[in-house]
Parts: sequence; C-alpha cells; structure tokens
Amino acid sequence: MWLVRPALPGDVNQILEIAGTAGSETARLSSTLPRQCEALAKKIDHSLASLAGKTTAGGQPPRFLFVLEDTATGKIHGTAGIDARAGNGQPFYNYRRDALIHASHELGISSRVDVLYPSHGLTDHTLLCSFSITPELRNTEAFELLSRARILFIASHREWFAQRVAVEIQGVQLADGSVPFWDSLGRHFFNMDFETADQYSGRLSKTFIAELMPPNPVYVTLLSEAAQAALGQPHELTVPNLELLQREGFQAGCYLDIFDGGPVLEARTDALHTLVTSQPKRLHGASEDGGDACLISAGEGARFRCTLANVADTLRGRLRYP
Amino acid sequence: MLVIRPLQQTDLDDLYAMAQKAGKGLTTLPANRDLLQRKINLAQETFNQRCAPEAGLYLFALEDTEAGKAVGISGIQARVGLDEVFYNYRLSVTVNASKELGVHVRTPTLHLSNDMTDTSEICSLLLSSNYHGGGNGLLLSRSRFMFLDEFRKHFSEKVFAEMRGVSDEQGLSPLWDALGSKFFDMEFIEADMLSGLGNKAFIAELMPKYPIYLPMLPDSARAVIGRVHGNTAPALKMLQAEGFNFNGMVDIFDGGPVVEAFVNTIRTVRDSVNRYATVTRKAVNLDVPAAERVMVSNRSFRNFRVTTVPASCVGIDTVSLPPAVAEALQIESGDPVRLAPLKEKVKAAAKTVG
Repeated sequence: MWLVRPALPGDVNQILEIAGTAGSETARLSSTLPRQCEALAKKIDHSLASLAGKTTAGGQPPRFLFVLEDTATGKIHGTAGIDARAGNGQPFYNYRRDALIHASHELGISSRVDVLYPSHGLTDHTLLCSFSITPELRNTEAFELLSRARILFIASHREWFAQRVAVEIQGVQLADGSVPFWDSLGRHFFNMDFETADQYSGRLSKTFIAELMPPNPVYVTLLSEAAQAALGQPHELTVPNLELLQREGFQAGCYLDIFDGGPVLEARTDALHTLVTSQPKRLHGASEDGGDACLISAGEGARFRCTLANVADTLRGRLRYP
Repeated sequence: MLVIRPLQQTDLDDLYAMAQKAGKGLTTLPANRDLLQRKINLAQETFNQRCAPEAGLYLFALEDTEAGKAVGISGIQARVGLDEVFYNYRLSVTVNASKELGVHVRTPTLHLSNDMTDTSEICSLLLSSNYHGGGNGLLLSRSRFMFLDEFRKHFSEKVFAEMRGVSDEQGLSPLWDALGSKFFDMEFIEADMLSGLGNKAFIAELMPKYPIYLPMLPDSARAVIGRVHGNTAPALKMLQAEGFNFNGMVDIFDGGPVVEAFVNTIRTVRDSVNRYATVTRKAVNLDVPAAERVMVSNRSFRNFRVTTVPASCVGIDTVSLPPAVAEALQIESGDPVRLAPLKEKVKAAAKTVG
C-alpha cells in the first residue's frame, strides 16, 4: 500500500537516493530538494518542528516535507513539500512577463515590446515544492497520491497557509543538459552552467542566487530564439505533473522561473479541486471490496497520513474500508 | 583664398550640392532644401542675435573667395537637448560578485542617458571633396574653437562631438540590426535619415529604456560600440589632437563614440594669441604649406571670419596682412585679431615669434 507521511530523520539516505546525484533526471526535476545530507536533515527537522506547530529559531515560516512510502517494503519512492510562505521569510524571485507599448504619435508607430520584470509578487504565497518520484511511478496512482496529499494536508491545516498557492514547473532543458533560457541570460552574470548554478541554488537557497541576477527588466526580443521559445514552457518530463496540477485548478499566469524560464502555476487556495471536494468522514471497517478509489487522509501535524483506497460511502458521513 | 564666415542665404545651392554629393552618411546635413533653408535661417538668427545666444545654432561656411562659393560647412550647437530630448547610451559596467560562489563577473552595460543635455556640441562638418587636403579641413574644424574661445559665455564649459559609427557600404549598422531594429521595424538608413530630419528624439522614444547587457548582443554588434566609421577616423584623430577624449557615451543607433573636451583645454584655445592687424603693401606669398600657416580671426561675433596667413607674418604685437586678407576679414589696420596655429607644428614657431 502507498502511504504519504511526514519525512523523518531516518529517511535521509533514502531521500538522497531518490534526489539522486546531480545531473540525473530526477535531480534536475527538483531543485528545491537539497542533495546534501546535512541540508536535507535540516529541512526534515524544520518540517517536524513546523508539524509540531513550533516556530524555529530565526522565525522561519513553516515548511513541510512528506515522503511516499511503500508500506509493504518500507521503502521510500518519492517526496513532496509545501512551503507555507514562498521565499521562507526572504524575497521570492520570479520574472513577471509583461508588455510595453513603444509608441510615437508623431511617427504613427506603435509596437509591443515584451519585457521580463524581476518580481517579488508571489512572496508569501503558499508554495508546493520539492516534488520528486522514482521514474517508474510517474503517471501512476501513487504519483497522484503524492502530489494531492499535500492539498489534503492544506485542507486539514488551512490556517497555516496563505490565500493563494503557487507551483514552479521546471522549464525547458535540452538533451545535452543545456538550458536555453539560462544560457541566454543568467549565464552571462554567473559564468557558470545551469547545472552548477542549480546546485548552488539547492545548497544556498534560490533567493541567494536570484539576488545576484541583475535587478533590471530584460527585453524578451534580446534573448536568443531558443530562450524565447522556452519562455513559459514546461520540461517535457513535467507534463504529467503539470496536467495533474491543472486538473487541480492551477493556471499559468504571467510569472516565470528566474533561472530556466519555466511556468509558475497559481491558484486560489480555497478553490483547489481536492480541497473543495474533500469531505470529513468517519471510518468503518467493511467486509467486502468495492467502492471508489479515494484519497484518504487522517491525523494532525506529525501524525498526518494519506493513502489511497477503494471505499464505499454510506449515509451519515461514514466510510467503509475493507 | 579660403575664408570662414557665418552661413548666409546665398549658400543654399552650394550647400544642397554638397549634401547631395556627401550621400547618406551625414545625417546632420540631409540633401533636403527645406531643411537646409531652415538651418540657414536659424544660423542667421543666431548670428544676428535674434535668439538667445545659448539657444543658437552657429553654422559657418568655408568660402572660396575666388570661386565665390561655399565649399565647406561646420557648426556649433550652443546647447543640445533643450527643446527636445537628447539621448545617448552610456557604456558602463555591472559587476556581479559573490565570495561564496567564487563569482566576480563584469558585464558591460548600456544605460540610456540624457547626460549631454545642456552641453555645446560641435557638429555638421562637411568639406567639398575637391577641397580636401592642404589644411582646409583643419581650418573648417578648428576655426570653431576660436569662436568658442572668443564667446565662451554663450557655450558650456565642456563641448562634445558625436562621431559617426560603423556601417557598411549598404548602410547596414551592426548595432542597429542587433538592437534598434528589434524595437523599431526600420532599416538603419531610414532611421538615420528620419533622425537627420529632426525626428531623432521621436525615434529614441521608441528605443529600449532599460539597461542593455552587452553579452546579450551578438559579437558583431558589440564590436562596433564606441568605434568610428572608417571615413570618420581622420576627424577623430584631429579632435584627439585637440584634446578631445571618448567620454563613455555612444550613439543610440550606430554605437559611434562621443568625444568631449573642456573649452579651456582645447589645444587651439590654449595656443591662441592676440595681435593687432597691420595692413601691409609688401608682397606676401600666401601659398605656403599648412604647417607654416596660422589661423587669424577678426574676433567679431556677428560677422566672425577666419582665414590663414603664413606664420612669418606674425610679429611681436602685430600681424602683417596683405590688403586682400584684411578685406576678407573685413578689418583695417589697428583692429584686434586673434591667432592660432593651423597645425600643431606651428605652435613652436608662433611661441618663438610671440
């Protein structure tokens, strides 16, 4: 049986295995998941403190990390996180894609110029992050469970989270590992390839890196053609994730990732599909199989668990579970 | 004899012929009769002090007195950017550094600037190709510094010149193609012409206002920033000899450099001396090499005139001028004149004489 539960200190090694070595496919797909033992242990501690409702030293806002466990083997197959406040007390950087009209009444000319503005607009929104899963589970029920369990967690701890929620989707990366958007923009200011910058980002915080980017708006027309084509486009491996989030009610707005130009999805927390359709029920044993496949969550804070099972609904808010 | 004098109404035809011959490179003098007429009118108003001296456009003609026609033009715009906005890019550096990352990257950056506003510009230099050589270009250009010197109060302490940037035979500018054209769907020549017709500020307003990071431009464009067109190299050299230096500003269209100097440090200004004219009946051989000649001006505002005489005419307090020269300068014996070497070499000679 698949179970989503809060990450524990003992999970560090297994998580590192999933996060993989730098440069691997899964590593690439979650830059917010630390790939160093120490940083990961710290993140798990922070998550546990947050689950206990404690504020940590430094007053950082709550951050949560969950794992997907196969209860039959005890093995961990994926991770998913929530930052209650994007930026975690620091500015949260994105580019906002916007337009300027360069017009001249005298010359009778008016042309639209696309501009990327550095923005902190999503700071303090709730952020879904640190999503990783072993490749063979992509597009399975477990995949959906892992992603949506977070929303059930939000539903049952609503007061910890913001009015709006965002997710950063990884942007386009070519087969040779190059990231067109980075190569056309960020690279000039760091003199390092995307992979290296991404590792620093995981270790030092994304804000740290973002603050080294030039603070001025960037003209889209001056980016390379490949970079322009990559703006707001998801990495092909994230498409299932993207579709799942879209079913959940997330939509791409005008925000883009500052490093790879990938889309940032946004939604109103209270309008998330899973949150709206979830209902509190009382659990009962059942003698026969059958019913609908449902996500079931229970427990508060550190005792939060979420799994997937066929259940039969009954009257008066009761669930039968085989 | 070649004489510098204020541009006048009768110069229109000569000016138009010159502009036509010069082709498209010279944006400040397009072959457009109406526009040239407007410039002549403006220059006349300026010299006749019908406009504020600070707002004036001082245009001079180089006249061949024997042929009775204008063969060159040069000018000073007393102030730029007063009735329209004057744009340049300032070439500066953005440094991106982090000890933790071991990163220290310098990124050359173009910032749109109006820094030259309210500064005097020397401009509009054009010499008919038949008259190239023999120091005629020097007279045309340097006589302006004598005027600046005489009437400093009308000009800013610092003066500048915009040098023509790089473009090829077809008139394609690498910087325009990489930058301007992305924001303004027009060929460089066309934009350049429009800007000569007085629409430069309009075009500039369509250009990008946020900083441009040079690494985002192709190498071909980066290579021409701050560089002059091959045809302009001699003019740049001449200005550098006068003490002008690149000031970090470049043209927003073609990336040509802006050079500037403080008036009091310009070589012609520093090397100028005062004398009184003495009209002499003695025969003087005026036909000596440029290196042995000095510029002599009549110090008049409304009717400023400059020509050259052999350095040997210069005495301790006076300068001996043949009647024809005195007539060309519209002066008589006893009138004050000001002298400056035409070429650097004469400096020593003039000093010895002085």
